Amino acid sequence: MGGPGDDSKNDPILEVNDELKQQDNKGGAEGSSGGNKAKAAIQSTARVGGERDNMAPASGNSIHRSGSRPQLDLSKAAIQGSSEERDPTILLPNQSDDISHLALDIGGSLIKLVYFSRHEDYSNDDKRKKTIKERLGISNGNRISYPVLGGRLHFVKFETNKINECLDFIHSKQLHRRECYPWNPKNLPLGSGIIKATGGGAYKFADLFKERLGVSIEKEDEMDCLVAGANFLLKAIRHEAFTHMEGEKEFVQIDPNDLYPYLLVNVGSGVSIIKVDGEGKFQRVSGTNVGGGTYWGLGRLLTKCKTFDELLELSQKGDNRTIDMLVGDIYGGTDYSKIGLSASTIASSFGKAISENKELEDYRPEDISLSLLRMISYNIGQISYLNALRFGLKRIFFGGFFIRGHAYTMDTISFAVQFWSKGEMQAMFLRHEGFLGALGAFMSYEKHGLDDLMSHQLVERFPMGAPYTGGKIHGPPLGDLNEKISWMEKFVLKGTEITAPVPMIPSKTTGLGGFEVPSSRGSALRSDASALNIGVLHLVPTLEVFPLLADPKAYEPNTIDLSDHSEREYWLTVLSEHLPDLVDKAVASEGGTEDAKRRGDAFARAFSAHLARLMEEPAAYGKLGLANLLELREECLREFQFVDAYRSIKQRENEASLAVLPDLLEELDSMSEEARLLTLIEGVLAANIFDWGSRACVDLYHKGTIIEIYRMSRNKMQRPWRVDDFDAFKERMLGSGSEKPHPHKRALLFVDNSGADIILGMLPLAREFLRRGTEVVLVANSHPALNDVTAMELPDIVAEAAKHCDILRRAAETGGLLVDAMINPSDGSKQNSASPPLMVVENGCGSPCIDLRQVSSELAAMAKDADLIILEGMGRALHTNFNARFKCEALKLAMVKNQRLAEKLIKGNIYDCVCRYEPPCRC
Amino acid sequence: MVDSEQLIFERSDIYDQGRDRESAMDPVDVRFPIKSSPSTSQTSHLALDIGGTLIKLVYFSIDGNEDDRGSDVCETSRDGEFEVVHGAGASPVLRGRLCFAKFETRNIGDCLEFIRADNLHYTGVQHQHGVARDKTFVKVHATGGGAYKFADLFKEKLGILFDKEDEMHCLVGGANFLLKTVPQEAYTYLDGRKEFVQIDHNDLFPYLLVNIGSGVSMIKVEGDGKYERVSGTSLGGGTFLGLGKLLTKCKSFDELLEISQQGNNRAIDMLVGDIYGGMDYSKIGLSSTTIASSFGKAISDIKELEDYKPEDVARSLLRMISNNIGQIAYLNALRFGLKRIFFGGFFIRSHEYTMDTISVAVHFWSRGEAKAMFLRHEGFLGALGAFTSYENPEPQTI
Repeated sequence: MGGPGDDSKNDPILEVNDELKQQDNKGGAEGSSGGNKAKAAIQSTARVGGERDNMAPASGNSIHRSGSRPQLDLSKAAIQGSSEERDPTILLPNQSDDISHLALDIGGSLIKLVYFSRHEDYSNDDKRKKTIKERLGISNGNRISYPVLGGRLHFVKFETNKINECLDFIHSKQLHRRECYPWNPKNLPLGSGIIKATGGGAYKFADLFKERLGVSIEKEDEMDCLVAGANFLLKAIRHEAFTHMEGEKEFVQIDPNDLYPYLLVNVGSGVSIIKVDGEGKFQRVSGTNVGGGTYWGLGRLLTKCKTFDELLELSQKGDNRTIDMLVGDIYGGTDYSKIGLSASTIASSFGKAISENKELEDYRPEDISLSLLRMISYNIGQISYLNALRFGLKRIFFGGFFIRGHAYTMDTISFAVQFWSKGEMQAMFLRHEGFLGALGAFMSYEKHGLDDLMSHQLVERFPMGAPYTGGKIHGPPLGDLNEKISWMEKFVLKGTEITAPVPMIPSKTTGLGGFEVPSSRGSALRSDASALNIGVLHLVPTLEVFPLLADPKAYEPNTIDLSDHSEREYWLTVLSEHLPDLVDKAVASEGGTEDAKRRGDAFARAFSAHLARLMEEPAAYGKLGLANLLELREECLREFQFVDAYRSIKQRENEASLAVLPDLLEELDSMSEEARLLTLIEGVLAANIFDWGSRACVDLYHKGTIIEIYRMSRNKMQRPWRVDDFDAFKERMLGSGSEKPHPHKRALLFVDNSGADIILGMLPLAREFLRRGTEVVLVANSHPALNDVTAMELPDIVAEAAKHCDILRRAAETGGLLVDAMINPSDGSKQNSASPPLMVVENGCGSPCIDLRQVSSELAAMAKDADLIILEGMGRALHTNFNARFKCEALKLAMVKNQRLAEKLIKGNIYDCVCRYEPPCRC
Repeated sequence: MVDSEQLIFERSDIYDQGRDRESAMDPVDVRFPIKSSPSTSQTSHLALDIGGTLIKLVYFSIDGNEDDRGSDVCETSRDGEFEVVHGAGASPVLRGRLCFAKFETRNIGDCLEFIRADNLHYTGVQHQHGVARDKTFVKVHATGGGAYKFADLFKEKLGILFDKEDEMHCLVGGANFLLKTVPQEAYTYLDGRKEFVQIDHNDLFPYLLVNIGSGVSMIKVEGDGKYERVSGTSLGGGTFLGLGKLLTKCKSFDELLEISQQGNNRAIDMLVGDIYGGMDYSKIGLSSTTIASSFGKAISDIKELEDYKPEDVARSLLRMISNNIGQIAYLNALRFGLKRIFFGGFFIRSHEYTMDTISVAVHFWSRGEAKAMFLRHEGFLGALGAFTSYENPEPQTI
């Protein structure tokens, strides 16, 4: 096998080598019908949790669980995967429309807008999946309703002095008209809606809104909104809060059940300090008049800066020692250690401005800005600490426009809190800090249904513009694909200064893909690199926590901690280096048209920008894990409408593998039970190798058919593997002595790649379980990711495989997989009912990794009767979930195709194998 | 036996030392016990507190008829008061005045000249022992950061060796001394009314001492020598003068204070009423005149610095700093359950508006439960503490 150097050309994470597949093509398969159907499946849509039958009593309208809380109607819910709109949001079309769609926080400098969107168009039911459910009766009554609606929450900012932009935006989206008060449309004529708003401008601009949009502003109490917004964010968004010490951000997971009481410090023009005891239970306990307005006001007078951001920007280059009197200045450079003050402690802000014969003009504006910033931040931190102490509160959250994700501000406040509390309290900040008020106003609509949202139902996505704008998105976001591409092109053409923090190999055909991003220095769009980005919040009520996780609270999907700098740099570089190749594939997948090339270029720029942004500020998109990174890449592809970059590769590979499957099955059937089990596991590990492509493997391909190569690699799987629990697994399966253990009731097989991996590796293993009477559920991606097989493709693959195998055929029939994929009139007997079913469910995600806190409700339902899960492949078994513990038995199978990961994880080498078997966790 | 009770104080007329001095405090008439031990001859009756902004001097000036040796009871006729010295025994007593002076630290040369001209560092010693000036060094108690910074300068120019006294120790010593020995030292100031507070000497502790110099120290005092610096803030007198100088071109602290009296902070501060359209935001207990954001109006106007009246700027600045100090002091008093907060230090300068603002802040945040108190000799706590440490080198317990 090839050495570590071989993987340089290919994605060492989870990549295929198409050269290998092209070679394979000539060894070719005839089963072309499967390929066509796979294509068809891509363009069709899948129902998500669409239990129409169960919803029937509600006569197509919403079911009311209790009180006035709006309920979710899931009929006709669909994953939007059609060719027109390829956004992965799961749509829930048949809502009773009882949701508000727009709320505003109109402050002195910024207008913050939160709006909710969902898409009107939806596709037909997927008959096959519906039939599966009917046959299996798995559409049980456990999950008849969700309290909230699916859709997306968008966060947008406008400058208050450009309020017309904001009005235009609202108007263009028809946000004011369509659904701002839709639950009572009969009583309110069109255009007389009400928009909830908070902030001082809610009064000031009320007439303007009435005039321009014909809507009335309904003013919500500012404090109410702040608290409601903060409560929502802290409960519903994982890792919303973070600490900030010496430039390092660290996300904090807050237990929603242990949130209260806390201190909320809102630093606006002035500062309000609020003690929050619960939902709607709070008290303003203190405040200070030395706040953001003081900073800006004094700053303007002293520096001639025109904007707050300009002033803030200045402070980054300042040195406050020229103007502040430090303890060292008084004590001649020595610390006044007796009272715990170091020489660099500020004894008197602006204290040096008195003793020298300097005028205002003699001081650098940068220094003045920094002195001011330190003075005010420190003071806020101190007063907040004293109030937290007074009420015995452990947590202090800081928000408000003054903070703006500004690193120095946060550091200073944190330092003050830490200093005065002697390390016992920590200042925390919120990623969505600027939107507390707007979000709270949004929450104040009577029937928004957001209260019950849980963190696992929210997925935050970062659209393409994010890295360019930092945390400050001003003006309308770009919606249309063409707009996006044009924006990218225009932006780069402008010749904005480009930096390349990560080396980038030259791209091939597309001529793009360099690691390009406007630097924070050259860009007027972003004034502070440390400002965090705010993505679009996708509300996906159907997502659930995987019920078999032993300890969901302690669960961390990512195995590798990307907060470690060298890890982060390594993986970002890997992704960056692989980009040109990915662009090539993506463009090729769409026929290499001019349009595809243009989109490919835009994708490359956009994703490079994401990577550069994350290199510069790892916390920009929240807590960063490898799983997030890989998903970001897939999302970015989808954003530029590359639905399935590996489509053709997958098809070729599937066809080739299906062609040799009968031979393999025949070989397996000739073995003893014990030998077969080992061969099957070896086969899974061997087939998993097809997911990389070293030159050695390509050479092999010249010499033989896929089955020969498969067998050859299988033969190389010499035990003991680097992690080898096979004996324990075998004992569980076959027992040791005369006593035969009970077969598993249901096994969930989390599958990985298309082609050999699924067809020659996992399907034969699934077949073995079926043969033993175990129900098998193949768990596959909802959306394409690399060459991973998707849940939509699987029924066709299974159908094709079943043509040559009775066991698979009967199981697939029982599982309802053959309904319209393959008519099977030949034997037509009903003896099949004895077979346990083979089923397919989607996992709810479109990433090569899987975060088991957010899986489809289908999978969650399936998991309830499962007593074994098998995670296969690097993405799902190593990069994520390697350390996950489950309530049931778990088998983790993968070949490590990355030297660094092998060393880190198993102290081994590239191509080492992992076969980890874990009995149910008793925690 | 010597202790501070042997010192006799009484108010005297306003004392004006001369043109060298920037300003002067009320001197305090004093009878000063002289130790008969030889070490006494090595001490001076001058003490300094050299801060970042100002140098404060306390020195002893002898009346002339100093030798009331051996008397248990003595009389002074000044102001017709009659005072008794207890337990003086055979100790010699000097009668005279404690005088107070201050200089700006940047004009330290003036201070050196002042000391040299009046031979202050030899005061007492000369009288008692007739020691002529010579090249030997004289030890002088000094505190404040400048006691370190300017040690070499004083040694070189005046032959003064600083006995560096801990700053906090001196502050507390000075405050305890004043509060226990000077009647009518503490007073409240609210709504323009000054009211002296009689402090029961036996019920003095614990209290919070807030010393507002360039920066602000907040000290919890539980007894003589028993104290802890519990808090502080960098927004202090230095901030007022520093920012004030930059914003108004005022040259001195007093000038800045002076113009602030004629100012109106509404021109530049954002009030609650400015935000809520003139209505009180009563829900959270804020009146429309409450300052929501100091200097907050400076952001929305198209005005430049020149367009604001320096008086208004000074006023806003003063309110910002006073209010902030009052608030932090209150929160600290609350934290330790302290009933009394004494404010001292040079920022206050008996300036009415400053005291009023601090008082209002304490009153506001404590909902009337705490009162800010001020000390007549507020600026000289440290210097006084350094001075008294001649007599009380070790912490005393009562």
